[in-house]
Amino acid sequence: MSSAITEHRDETEHADHADEVRRLERREGWNRRLPILPALIFTIVVTQIPFLFTLFYSLTDWRIDTPEPREFIGFENYGALPDDKFFRDAAWVSVQMTVLAVLLSLIVGTALAILLDRKFFGQGFVRTLLITPFLVMPVVAGFLWKSQMFSATFGVLNWVLELFGFESIEFATKYPLASVVVVLVWQWSPFMMLIVLAGLQGQDTSVLEAARVDGATTVGIFRQITFPQLRPYLELGTLLGAIYLIQVYDHIDVITGGSPDSKNLPFYIAQRSIGGGNRFGLASSYSIVVVIASIIIANIGLRVLSGLLEDDS
Amino acid sequence: MAEVRYEAASRIYPGTEIPAVNALDLDIADGELLVLVGPSGSGKSTALRMLAGLETVNKGSIFINDVDVTLKPPQDRDIAMVFQNYALYPSMTVAENMGFALKQAGVSKEQRRAQVVEAARILDLEPYLDRKPKNLSGGQRQRVAMGRAIVRSPQVFLMDEPLSNLDAKLRVQTRTELADLQARLGVTMVYVTHDQVEAMTMGHRVAVLKDGLLQQVDTPRELYRRPANLFVAGFIGSPAMNLITVPVVDGAAQLGGLSVPLPDDVRAEVARRGLDEIIFGARPEHLALADVGASGEVAVVEELGSEAYIHVRVVHGQETEDVVVRVGGETAVKRGDQVSFGIAGATHFFDPGGDRLDGE
Ligand SMILES: Nc1ncnc2c1ncn2[C@@H]1O[C@H](COP(=O)(O)OP(=O)(O)OP(=O)(O)O)[C@@H](O)[C@H]1O
Ligand SMILES: [Mg+2]
Repeated sequence: MSSAITEHRDETEHADHADEVRRLERREGWNRRLPILPALIFTIVVTQIPFLFTLFYSLTDWRIDTPEPREFIGFENYGALPDDKFFRDAAWVSVQMTVLAVLLSLIVGTALAILLDRKFFGQGFVRTLLITPFLVMPVVAGFLWKSQMFSATFGVLNWVLELFGFESIEFATKYPLASVVVVLVWQWSPFMMLIVLAGLQGQDTSVLEAARVDGATTVGIFRQITFPQLRPYLELGTLLGAIYLIQVYDHIDVITGGSPDSKNLPFYIAQRSIGGGNRFGLASSYSIVVVIASIIIANIGLRVLSGLLEDDS
Repeated sequence: MAEVRYEAASRIYPGTEIPAVNALDLDIADGELLVLVGPSGSGKSTALRMLAGLETVNKGSIFINDVDVTLKPPQDRDIAMVFQNYALYPSMTVAENMGFALKQAGVSKEQRRAQVVEAARILDLEPYLDRKPKNLSGGQRQRVAMGRAIVRSPQVFLMDEPLSNLDAKLRVQTRTELADLQARLGVTMVYVTHDQVEAMTMGHRVAVLKDGLLQQVDTPRELYRRPANLFVAGFIGSPAMNLITVPVVDGAAQLGGLSVPLPDDVRAEVARRGLDEIIFGARPEHLALADVGASGEVAVVEELGSEAYIHVRVVHGQETEDVVVRVGGETAVKRGDQVSFGIAGATHFFDPGGDRLDGE
């Protein structure tokens, strides 16, 4: 009898309690959501609404250099894309530029991080100096390199070449892709360096000491202990770097003006629309294709990355 | 198999003045398990790391098997070390962790596997060989760290508080297993701990450090019977020795009604130094309730079942002192009782500066 009564009481207490918990959880949910709401609304307004417009324009033949009204033409713009050789070229430049810039800045950044990850006099000062390229505006970086470094008449590089008795070279014209990549690497190495440095400094020093006691050489320790631990950081650097470097525009515009060998997709799309081409409908359809392709590639990339990560842990 | 010798070895960390380890002289015999014990910050880890080659020796030298290794890097010393946090290689499996040192030494894959499996068998780690360290319990990780050390049969084993991350029960169990393993392998081991019980139960000899200075090295029994100074007297033994500053009157130490006659050599030393106060030491187990003697009120009773420790508040001179006395488990003493106690075992006498008064 008495046990039945207690059971019954327990149940009601349970129910009351659950209600309270639900109420608290709801409130907690809003407490969390509310602060990010303005940012979320802002993001939706500035990214998703334009995206919907772009989607709409891509289905029209809108161009602003003829007086004809904007007409809905369905998927005609998309149909033209496979035949556009320039689109394919730009896509190939995009791939080369992104892959080269990400990989090289990752390598340079890692090397710098390893050098910085030891105590020496003036370490903080050197680190600040090394970070500065990342803080330079892209357009400024472009001008800086174009006029101070690459220029055939005033450039430092050509001055060095001439010192050694070589002909001077107009780098930006002769090697447009390489020139842009060099500047991108110069700007992005510090970023990679910071990420890798965080990884290096997050290492457990006693693990490295254990490896030394176990007889590993410095190179062996880096290869067998440090590098596997750095992998998530390298992957993060790759991901963030790729997101930014795939949309490079400023550097190209300033350094080469978008010569064929250095014209990537964003540059080409801009050229076909606001850059003088005025084919807004067509350019919009290209944008949409690029966005979808990027999302697909990014998703595959992320899945591969997280697969690797899980495998590791 | 190796002997280890510290010769006036000091470590002064950059930016500090006082040596963390100060002119340490220590001889460790082949196959010995020597425990370094001391309070936090006493330089135990530093002393161990000097032997491992992870810390520069600023003065003095260190020898392994009569070879001066003072300037040799860790990888040339043929030692294995177990770190307090185990320091397992996080990206490697248990087997890879244990085989790492062999791999560095260029041992073939099959040979490596065989040795790892053998060590895993000794340590009951066979089911876990393919797991990553983070998927192991604390005790298992500790054993992997051990395994990593024993796989390579080094000259010397170094252990820096390897049991401090385990729970009390596992710690006691592992402590026994470790001592047993050391005895079976017959390997020289230097073991660091801040726990004096661990030191006493495991060590063939125990070296007590304080502020970087070696206080005493001896067998656990001798440390207990004859602490060389006040610090060792207070540090070794659980519960701690009663250490009370008492006046000396007519060649006897006076403690609240109890008069403890000084042995001849102590009396001579007291006279030579012209002391009128000394520090009297007696372990709780060397005091016993008696009809006459020092008396006071019982302030606390720590009941342990088989025995009890009573804290007797003794008024002596201007001060009151709590003196801990061990009594049998069946003695009925309660808080607030008035009791008397007397000497029932060894007594120790120290200079107020901390030196033992009955010579070396
Ligand atoms: N890298 C360092 N730089 C400067 N001083 C240090 C350094 N490492 C240790 N010390 C100092 O050296 C002394 C001894 O340190 P050590 O780590 O050897 O102590 P320990 O006996 O192992 O203590 P614990 O039981 O807390 O581990 C301490 O006073 C400590 O502050
Ligand atoms: Mg320590």
